[in-house]
Amino acid sequence: MTRTHQHSVWMMLTPAVSLIGAFIVVPMVLTVWLSLQDWSTQTGFQTAEFVGLDNFREIFGATSVGRDFKGALVNTALYTLMSVALILPVSVGLGLLVYQRNVAGGNALRTILFSTYMVPMIAVALVWSKLYSPSEGPINQMLGWLGIGPQPWLSSPSTALVSIVVLNVWQQIGYFTVLVVAGLTQIPTSLYEAATIDGADGRQQFTAITLPLLKRTLLFSAVIAIINAVQVFEPVALITQGGPVGSTNVLTYHIRRVGIERAQGGLGSAMAVTLMLSLIVVIFALFAFARKGDDE
Amino acid sequence: MSAAGEWRPRRGLFFFRSRPTSGDYIVATLMLVVAVASAFPLVWMVLSSLKTPAETMQVPPAWLPESPSLEAFGKVSGVINVGRSMLNSAVIAAITTAGIIVTSLMAGYAFAKHRFHGRNALFALLIATMFLPPIVTLIPLYRMIGTIGLDGSLAGVVLPNLANAFGIFLMRQFIAGVPDDLIDAARMDGASEMRILFVIVAPLVTPAVAALALFAFVYHWNSYLWPLTVLQGNADQYPIVISLSRLLSYNRGAMNTNLVMAGATLAVLPPLVLFVFLQRFFVDSIVSSGVKG
Repeated sequence: MTRTHQHSVWMMLTPAVSLIGAFIVVPMVLTVWLSLQDWSTQTGFQTAEFVGLDNFREIFGATSVGRDFKGALVNTALYTLMSVALILPVSVGLGLLVYQRNVAGGNALRTILFSTYMVPMIAVALVWSKLYSPSEGPINQMLGWLGIGPQPWLSSPSTALVSIVVLNVWQQIGYFTVLVVAGLTQIPTSLYEAATIDGADGRQQFTAITLPLLKRTLLFSAVIAIINAVQVFEPVALITQGGPVGSTNVLTYHIRRVGIERAQGGLGSAMAVTLMLSLIVVIFALFAFARKGDDE
Repeated sequence: MSAAGEWRPRRGLFFFRSRPTSGDYIVATLMLVVAVASAFPLVWMVLSSLKTPAETMQVPPAWLPESPSLEAFGKVSGVINVGRSMLNSAVIAAITTAGIIVTSLMAGYAFAKHRFHGRNALFALLIATMFLPPIVTLIPLYRMIGTIGLDGSLAGVVLPNLANAFGIFLMRQFIAGVPDDLIDAARMDGASEMRILFVIVAPLVTPAVAALALFAFVYHWNSYLWPLTVLQGNADQYPIVISLSRLLSYNRGAMNTNLVMAGATLAVLPPLVLFVFLQRFFVDSIVSSGVKG
């Protein structure tokens, strides 16, 4: 490697590294710093005053600030759990449906499933708010045909959050299905042939071959699903505004409301840091769990 | 499969590849149900945009418009500036995409084909940023953009997104597959690294570049949180996805669901059309960037 090459390496890296450094790494560091400051988002960073861990005490305290934040944290945890619990099994089922070669149309199905992933979330939220409409929406109408009574969907605290999970899963499922299909293509067909010769039926092949060999794919899917889940914003901002009774007040919405709209930059940053730390813990735990499974 | 001389066509009946078993009928039914469930909301959106306001409020709901009308699409322009919003969206998405492609190609080439101190550490740091939810950096980023005077402007929306880790990762993956001999030969001929990248390497990874372009364009056409935060109040600069939410607040209480659905249809069309024409690239790149690695 010559000197001119070294020079050109840094020339190649500079645009990307300086942009990501300036607009992701620096704000990241600032978020951590601001979480320890009393600071209004309306003013410059130089007006920040160091307050130690006061912001964290407040967001986990007994006042309304603490109650709202802890509520948002719990809502986000529930939301994430429900998303992952729906996405993993459904994407495996749909992946098998797309991948199988007995019935034509797998590729067409993949296209249809993936197309919803291309649609702006805002449009998805608008349409689903109409589909969910208790009286003039088609979902309750169809449930009626099956003899199931009307559901309140977005208008009741007990069903609003899961309703948003469903519309989000509907939108993203094509992406996860494509990941599963990619994982399935990596499984050697000789394994299935051998299993068939040994007399294993379809279900045995699924639990003994397909699922174990999809593990890496599913781990990756779970990480992406978790990171996507904490980002849910549009349906809440547009349709429910965190309600009814705070039941859909999730972290991305809450942090933006506190840190940008109410300009409480220090408090908002402490919430953002808490979110980040929680994510790191969850993802490390997930990897540790997967590794433990490997050792057994 | 079929014995020589048998009259039955190899492909079997209808969309079955061979003589269907009862299991195949179940699979076919499932596929149909999934396809309908997946497509239904968007079909409902388009149908609703063609209804009269009264039809959208009907109980039980009317599935098909009695006399489909494009009137709602005309009326949307009376509430929001559709042309301007679509143009803003296109400007945001196109400039961001161009930036991402250039910065990703350059950095991806450096990571794939050069050795330098700290390469792996730097790459790991960049990849880590890919997993950071945008809300974590939103508050200081908003202040920073305000400090340099770009709040309320399209430049403020675009600038922080001109490079991203996903693009660098994708380009590195694909450029690594370009033969070293080709690059060495060009170096012998005295070509500069920039020239090698853009004249020799880039054309060889065109499918990956196309995929990245489509991903970036669709992602930034659809993105909502950041433009909403930077542009607050400056309606002239709103991309279509934010103008749509204004349509909704205008609509609240009034019988104008057809209007909202017409606006949503307009916002959905560009990314969906792009996808339909170029889906081959999308899917290939997800596969190679996701689990193959």
